[in-house]
Amino acid sequence: MRLFDPHIHMTSRTTNDYEALYANGVRALVEPAFWMGQPRTNVGSFIDYFDSLLGWERFRAAQFGIRHHATIALNPKEANDPRCVPVLDEIPRYLVKEGVVAIGEIGYDSMTPAEDEAFSRQLQLALEYSLPAMVHTPHREKLAGTQRTLDVVRESGVEPGMVVVDHLNETNVGMVKDAGAWMGFSIYPDTKMDEQRMVAILREYGTEKVLVNSAADWGRSDPLKTVSTAHAMLAAGFTADDVDKVLWRNPVEFYGQSGQLILDPIPGFDAADLPDAAAGFEGNSVLRGARV
Amino acid sequence: MPFSLGYGTNGFADHPLPVALELLAEQGYDAVALTLGHPHLDPFAEDLDAQLRSLRGRLDELGLRVVIETGTRFLLDPRHKHRPALVDAEAAARVAFLRRAVDIAAAVQAECVSFFSGVLPADTTPETGWQRLTPRVADIVEYARGKDVLLAVEPEPGMLVETVSDVLRLRAELGDPENLRVTVDIGHCVVVEPGGVRGALLQAGPLLANVQLDDMRPHAHEHLPFGEGTVDLPLALATLAELGYRGVAAVELPRHSHDAPGLAVRSMEALRAGWHQAGAIRESARWLQESTTAITTDPGSLAKIFAMAGRRVGRSPLRPDADPTGVLFGTVSDHARGALIGRLGEFLSPDELAETLLALYDGGDSAERRGVLKGLGALATRSPKLPAAVVTAGLRLTADALRTSENGIVAAAVGPFAAAYLDQHSWRHAVLKLVFMGISLSAVADLQERADDELARMAHDFAAERSAAGRPVPEDVQLLLQSSSSYSTSS
Repeated sequence: MRLFDPHIHMTSRTTNDYEALYANGVRALVEPAFWMGQPRTNVGSFIDYFDSLLGWERFRAAQFGIRHHATIALNPKEANDPRCVPVLDEIPRYLVKEGVVAIGEIGYDSMTPAEDEAFSRQLQLALEYSLPAMVHTPHREKLAGTQRTLDVVRESGVEPGMVVVDHLNETNVGMVKDAGAWMGFSIYPDTKMDEQRMVAILREYGTEKVLVNSAADWGRSDPLKTVSTAHAMLAAGFTADDVDKVLWRNPVEFYGQSGQLILDPIPGFDAADLPDAAAGFEGNSVLRGARV
Repeated sequence: MPFSLGYGTNGFADHPLPVALELLAEQGYDAVALTLGHPHLDPFAEDLDAQLRSLRGRLDELGLRVVIETGTRFLLDPRHKHRPALVDAEAAARVAFLRRAVDIAAAVQAECVSFFSGVLPADTTPETGWQRLTPRVADIVEYARGKDVLLAVEPEPGMLVETVSDVLRLRAELGDPENLRVTVDIGHCVVVEPGGVRGALLQAGPLLANVQLDDMRPHAHEHLPFGEGTVDLPLALATLAELGYRGVAAVELPRHSHDAPGLAVRSMEALRAGWHQAGAIRESARWLQESTTAITTDPGSLAKIFAMAGRRVGRSPLRPDADPTGVLFGTVSDHARGALIGRLGEFLSPDELAETLLALYDGGDSAERRGVLKGLGALATRSPKLPAAVVTAGLRLTADALRTSENGIVAAAVGPFAAAYLDQHSWRHAVLKLVFMGISLSAVADLQERADDELARMAHDFAAERSAAGRPVPEDVQLLLQSSSSYSTSS
């Protein structure tokens, strides 16, 4: 069972998580740029973060046999801090980097004018760079926020098929489907969605244009939620092909629109299921200690 | 491929000629390099004409092109290899034989006749050698012109005409006759050619009329099967394609007749794999050319071109056999980016170049940063003394790279630039860091030249710490301990 987590913040996770992801069949993932818990206060903080997503984190994932991709954007929450907004001028140069598969997370947090401005500008960048857009929906005022999101996308001229609207639930999935955008669902231990409700939504709305992610980050979350959703689908009578479609082919199709997905196996991982000692290293790094 | 792959009959000495030809055609070769003399074709046989007619018929049936090789060891003198030579005091037999080879080439419509100058006899000066060689070759050239046959002089290690430069000198002395061309044996290139395989082939350029393919090690003129020496076969094939070479390139393994059928198979496999890799090399070369043109027109396009390199030229390891992960020697895109920076060094001022290096590195992802570090290596290799501004920028980037924990970046930071410019303290720490990270020291440029007692002491302490913890000591530590005699017997 090959799995693709289309939304997971690995920067906030440990190497144990990488090992568990690989052991459970996750071979590719997308890490969207987002906030860090502690608010950023300047552009340099974003630059180091973006560089880390395209450098260290990609390298770290590769040590565990997982292809790491990123989306880059000024997130809606920090779009409200004028000290952070000038990062918008730096974003274009990141959009041509290898493995940058979308602009995101963009969208709304509190639906302020500053968020409107950052959202629209970045949708224009998506158009200009022919990249998909990954849109976060607000935790509060989700329904109204989703409607407004879809309106802004329509006005932007970005094709709905180039947009995933994420963190959906039973209340707003219908409007996103009707708009022709991709539907993203984050499976969380307590909040957002859970596996059983996800299975019910798949029954009702089908598997087309559905992306399921763990959205695991520094909060209470579980990077193996894609795995448990796959099992829940099988237990509910979905076929292995359905699982492959939702948890591999769909994210490949959506992010593949960027032309930036790299999915060939990492050298040393194609044959065996264990990290290749020759590919590793140690020190101030990831794979500490001698391997046998 | 635009040229024809062949195999030399001197590598099939245990098979009758018709059988050897059949085996070669069967393996997909479309040419044969036919060595005159024992055991396949006696150039002085009484029924030579009939033999040649039959041979041409057989070549047609099998669809084989042919070149005539003349390096038979004991054809003219059963006691002395390759005697008499064109540089000997008496060489009438050699000249007569080469004229006969021209007749044979004309009869079988061969692509060319290849021959070499010979080893200078003891007590003969090079001047005398050239005085003997030049008129004799002039004679053969004149004879061949009358028969409409191309000649190709093969430079051989240890002979008077040893390099492509020597052939070009000979040709110039004869007034650049149209039908006097060059043979290049790619194995010889790693032994004697200052510009290596690529340099030699480019130097021969449009005069290239015959190519011999084999592997070889730099210090021994011994023809080896592919993979056993240091010849960069993909680069050689890519260079032939770049030159638009359309002649015959034939495997030359005169000492491997005992395993001829097997080697014919394995050589073809190696050539096909090499050709596949050559495609990537050629794509890189095209990208380099196009990118250079684009950047000279619009310097602002550099950042994007640099970022997109991997998508155009690929990201596979440069030397997949020795380095399957690309950590030690980099990837195809690392190499292409490095080459582009080397090219920038040709037209940017030192200050502009320094600024560009910093901007590309600071604005780059890991692959781009490796590319910049490879570029520093390319610049340092190309120029014995880099401008101060470039050195300052390079040292800042090298220090930054050595602070990271990404194995590919650290490995790229210990190349020729670090070897030439990094201070000894930092260089020692860089080497120890590689050992610590489990990166092979084969990534380090000039390791033996710069290793010192202090590095050996550091390696010794590191080994002691590992041993105390009951953990294995990396093999490369031994390499460092051996670099200093005072520690070579340490535990």
